[in-house]
This record gives sequence, C-alpha cells and structure tokens, in this order.
Amino acid sequence: MEKINIKINGREYKVSSELTILEACQEIGIDIPTLCYLKDLKSEAACSICLVEVKGAKALMRSCVTPVNKGMEVYTNTERVRIARRVNLELLLAGHPKDCLVCDRSDTCELRKISFDLGIREARFPKVSKVELPLDTTSVSIVRDPNKCILCGRCVSVCSSVQSVKAIDFTGRGKNSKITTFFDEGLSNSVCVNCGQCVMVCPTGAITEQNETEGVWKALSCPDKFVITEVAPAVRAAIGEEFGLTAGTLVTSKLVEALRKVGFAKVFDTQFSADLTIMEEGYELISRIKNKGVLPMITSCSPGWIKFAEHFFPGILAHISTCKSPQQMFGAVAKTYYAKKYNIDPRKIVVVSIMPCTAKKFEAKRPEMKSAFNYWKNELKLENKDEFPDVDYVLTTREAARMIREAGINFASLKGEDFDEPLGISTGAAVIFGATGGVMEAALRTAYEVLTGKELEKLDFVSLRGLQGIKTAEIDIEGLKLKVAIASSLSNARKLLEEVESCKSPYAFIEIMTCPGGCLGGGGQPFSLNEETKQKRMEAIYQEDKNKALRKSHQNPAVKALYKDFLKEPLGEKSHYLLHTHYAKRKETPYGTEKA
Amino acid sequence: MTKELDKIILRYKGKPGMLLGVIEEAQKLNPHKYLTKEVLEYIAKQTKVPVSKIYNIITFYAFFNLKPQGKHSIIVCRGTACHTRGSKNLLDFLIRYFGLNNGIEGQQSSLTTQDKKFTIKTVACFGQCALAPVVEVDGNIYSRVTEEKLKKIIKELLKKRK
Repeated sequence: MEKINIKINGREYKVSSELTILEACQEIGIDIPTLCYLKDLKSEAACSICLVEVKGAKALMRSCVTPVNKGMEVYTNTERVRIARRVNLELLLAGHPKDCLVCDRSDTCELRKISFDLGIREARFPKVSKVELPLDTTSVSIVRDPNKCILCGRCVSVCSSVQSVKAIDFTGRGKNSKITTFFDEGLSNSVCVNCGQCVMVCPTGAITEQNETEGVWKALSCPDKFVITEVAPAVRAAIGEEFGLTAGTLVTSKLVEALRKVGFAKVFDTQFSADLTIMEEGYELISRIKNKGVLPMITSCSPGWIKFAEHFFPGILAHISTCKSPQQMFGAVAKTYYAKKYNIDPRKIVVVSIMPCTAKKFEAKRPEMKSAFNYWKNELKLENKDEFPDVDYVLTTREAARMIREAGINFASLKGEDFDEPLGISTGAAVIFGATGGVMEAALRTAYEVLTGKELEKLDFVSLRGLQGIKTAEIDIEGLKLKVAIASSLSNARKLLEEVESCKSPYAFIEIMTCPGGCLGGGGQPFSLNEETKQKRMEAIYQEDKNKALRKSHQNPAVKALYKDFLKEPLGEKSHYLLHTHYAKRKETPYGTEKA
Repeated sequence: MTKELDKIILRYKGKPGMLLGVIEEAQKLNPHKYLTKEVLEYIAKQTKVPVSKIYNIITFYAFFNLKPQGKHSIIVCRGTACHTRGSKNLLDFLIRYFGLNNGIEGQQSSLTTQDKKFTIKTVACFGQCALAPVVEVDGNIYSRVTEEKLKKIIKELLKKRK
C-alpha cells in the first residue's frame, strides 16, 4: 500500500493512496458529514453532503467517491463548502417530514443530527410533493415509511452487497423516485429475510422494526396472564449503549433487575435454551457423522438465514439442522415442561423474547411454531380457535430499552439481580451464541466430550473467533478430523452454500449467522455503524463466557433436569415433537449473477 | 407465451444491455403493449436478474408500460422548451378532450381512455426543442403543435379506423 502526501486544510499528511478523501479525513480526525457513505461498500454518492473543495477543481467534490491523489490540496471547512453542504441538506429537508418529536429515530436520527451540526435552524424550503406515500407494513418484522426516506441508497446497498438478497431497489425517476419491492408488493411478499440490516444503516426513521411494545404492555397489565421473558445472549452485551454506557459494558444483572421492574413475572434466559439447542444439535451432528447422514450439517439458529435458504437454496434444506432456534425451544419448553412443573395453565403464559434481531419476529409467527398448543391439544381439549404460539411477542434490544425507559427505571444505577430458575440457568457455551463462531464452538465443546468420553481441557477454540466474514478450521477430536466453516452475513454464507449445492463442500459442519459479526451485530441492536462497537460487544460476550462456572452445555444442571424429568434424551420422541422443525421451499427468485 | 419469451431471451443472451432489449420485445408481444407481473417474473427467472432490479429498470424508462395501453399513443413533451411554449396547455386540453381525470404529472405516468382507444403520456424531452412544443402520436413527431392541430390529428386517426 503506497503512502502519499496530501494537504488537508493547509496541513501536510501522509495517507494511503487507496483512500477516498472522506476516508483520509476520517483517519486524521476530520469528520466529514455524510448521509449515504458506508464503510466497505461502494458509495452511491447520493446525498451530496460530503462536499469538499479541492484546489484546481472547478466544482466542489464529493469526498466519498473522490480518491486522494499525490499532492492534492483539500479544504473541508471553507465558506463555499459550508454553504453548499447547507443548501444540499436544506433541499433534502424540504422533502422530509418535520415530526421528529414523535419519530422512532428521534434521538438516533443521522439526518436530524447533521442538520443540528451544520447549524440549520429553520426549514427554508417548503415541501415539494404533497403526495403522502403509503407505509409498507406487510412485514411482521420491518416497517418502511417512504415519506421519511431521503433516497441515500444505504438499505439497497446493504441488502444487495452485504446480504445478497436484493429485496429492494430504487424505482421511478426524479421526484417520483422511491425505494420499494417488486411491484410495490411489500416486504412480506418479497425475498426479504427480515434481517434488519437496512434498519441499522438507515440514517432516518424510514425503516424501523414492527413495534410490539404496546402488546407487551397490554399483556403485563392483564392480571390473568403470566408474562415471562427470555433474553438472548447478544442483548446483554449491547443494551447498555441505549442508556449511555460504553459499548461492551456487560449489563446482564442490571437488565434482569430492570425487566423485573418493568413487570415480568419471571425473567428467564434464552441461554438456557441455547444450552438445550447444543444438546440437540450436538447430538444431531454426532448422529449424522456416525450414521452417514447428510453432511455438512448447517446450524439453524438464525431465522434470516433460514428464510434465505428457503428462497435461494431450496435444494440444500436437508443440510440444515432440524433444531429449532433457542428462542423457539424456549417457548416450547416454557409452555409445556415449565407449565406442568409449576402447574400453570399454558394458555395464561405469555412468552416475550428479547432479541438482537428483527427476523425473530417473523420466526415466532411461522405457522409451524405452535408445538406447545399441539402438545396440550388433547389433554386440555383445545379447539383450533384456542390456538396459541410458542412465543407470543418478540422485542428487539431497542424495544426492550424503550420499555425500560418508559417504566422510569434508571438503568445505569441498578444494582443487579439474577435470572429466575430453572429456565434462567445457563453455561458459558450459551453466552457465545451471540458472536459469530459461537454456536460452532459451543457445539464442539459438547461434541468432543460426548464423542471421546474425555474431558475437554482447552475450551477456547480461538481459531473460530473474530469478526472475519468466513472462518474455517480443522478440529481434531481424538483422531477424527472435523473440517468446519463459519460465515456471517449472507453474501459470505452464499459462498459456502454454493459449494454445498454443487456437492463440493469439504466441511462437516457449517455455522451461518445472517448478520455481520453474528447476533451482536443484529438488526435489532442499538444503532451503531461503528465496527469497534461490534468488537467491544464481542469481547464482552467472551468475557461473560470466561466468568461462568460452567462452560459446557451438557453440564447445565437445569438442562439435565429437563431431560431427566421430561424430555428423556436428546433427539428423543418428545424432543422431536417440541424442539425440532422443518423447512419448506419458498417462491424462487433469482439472485442476479448476471449484469443487467 | 413462454416459448416466445424464451426465443427473445436466447437472442439477447450474453449481449451487453440484454435486459432492456428483452423487456422491450416482451412488451411488444402483449396486444395491449404492456408488461405483466408474470412476464417480468419469467424474464427474471430466465435471465437471473432479481425482480427488484427489473422493477427498477421498467419504472425508470417512460417507454415501459405497466398498464394496458390504448390503440393509439399520444406523448406530450414536458421538457423546458416545450413547457415554455405551452405544452402544459396541450396536455390539459387532451385530458379535457377525452374526459379523463387529472393527475398525469403526479404518480400516474399515463392515462388511457375508457374505450382503450387512446393513451396519453408525457416525456421529459424528445430532443426536438427547436420544434417545440412537440407531441408524438403513434411514433410520429409533430412539431409546433396547437390545440387545433391536435384535434385534426385525432380526427384523422379516428377516420382511419373506419
């Protein structure tokens, strides 16, 4: 990488020749405002806020797409630059609603922040188009409000480049431009996998999650209901950010206390059912290896990836573990085993899961996720109209934070409490589900001991850790060499899946997480475009694993009790009934390998 | 239908810009000169272009129709030169003449008469600014158009049909 000399605002700097002006400025500590630039993605240069003056150039340049050059002289803070940025921003604001007080992104909106930073104090230009566009509320996970869209194109980029889904694109022209799905049919009728990465990158409130907090408040205020919650691993490493704590602050016990104060009858842990997932999935892997079943086996915890496979890779569905995700296993166990054990009518139990994810909302509403209802059907003489789902509500990390704020809880000052038993007991293996590579590592910890009958001494599979998009390793289990691969983000997954599809995959076990970095970078997490934030969350997750007394799923005493008293054995009849699922081919849509 | 589409796709296969050509010919195949969802989905499948991208393209070009078109098309230029020479009045006249609802310059990109005889559209510029205002009728460009001239053209068209 060549280093070149450039001058920025009169000072000499040495920067890499491969950078754009914007990136070079970021490196030396000058923040250039932008609403469309995203690190590592091809810039659309759509917002024209990042203008800078380059000596010798006639026009102002968009710094996000202008590469640095030897001897270049850049000015980022001249009168001309300031005025141009302002006018461009004011033009964007002309078409944007001004209802910031009641907007979902009120305090996290980049457009609002940049308007403030650039000193815009009045809306100079009136709204051009008076047409109110309808909201896309077809999806159970994501809502799109085209009226708030500034056409920056970030969501289109992420959906296409990072996730290789391409559910949305620009349509129309000029002032009729908007971002939408094929024939405006809405996200639920498209190949959208509900990952929510578009929500994460949207600079305004144009894309948000489907808000389920109202339903949860309603259930909480109903004396007849027994409302319990389960919290996913990645939530505890991130929700602190919503309350002003630095990224990577572990707030597990504070979160438990806060949720109890919000009003949940029991605060349980999705990590309990993550341990349970490992029991089922670990045994499934062992059984597939021993009985020459379909390999590679691919993990099934990430619901965005499941829908992705159903659309784009229907031929490899047999490779996906039949295990339900921890969220769904929890719901099924809570409304059967737990209900029985504590003699609670399953119809009165309301399961609210708190997830770093928007796709989990979709997963909970899949029609097959009603195994507790089917379990009780005969015993309680239930009719179809009594039908209830295993998981009733799914809140994102952000929604949970909203409820905690609404309840008037001073989160940062909480002392902290422990999860309720028994569904709140978990091991370190379950914590790491929140990071890419974690499910694999957790499964290997258990598979190793089950296969060899020996104790695994070195628990940390460091080769499986880190934020890289694809990781591969060969694990030696007493002579049995197991090739494994891990992918996070669906464009990375696609590479591994194409190998599987053409029967060229050298791996025995593949972990796929829909979101870059795994659940810690999920579409339901606190807003951040910062890679460092993900790194910090990851460190917190591995720290929590280290802090746990028990670090292997099969050691979880509550899971052991569940098998002893209820399920009997992994992959047994009851497990099959409650903890496993099936997948179905969805409408096929081309991904688009050829250029239009 | 799929057979004819297959033929078209085969002809364009591998050529740069193939999608535009394919969609253009697919539109011609339809008796009402428009693209249906089913046809576009089929093209997507065969050309391996995502449906979202296809929708992006067909909504960008005014040439592609998503609604059945009338037998005759009247396209009024709404570019700057034509605008200054009264093309808006021509458009309003046509809308009045055919008794259509207003709204062509909003979200609607075209209006078709109930008897499906005429479709009125606008275009941003024909590149014939010296001849403004310009109206294209069934592929023929008419220059320095007035209301009287339009009336005559329409009457001629109706006569021809008999």
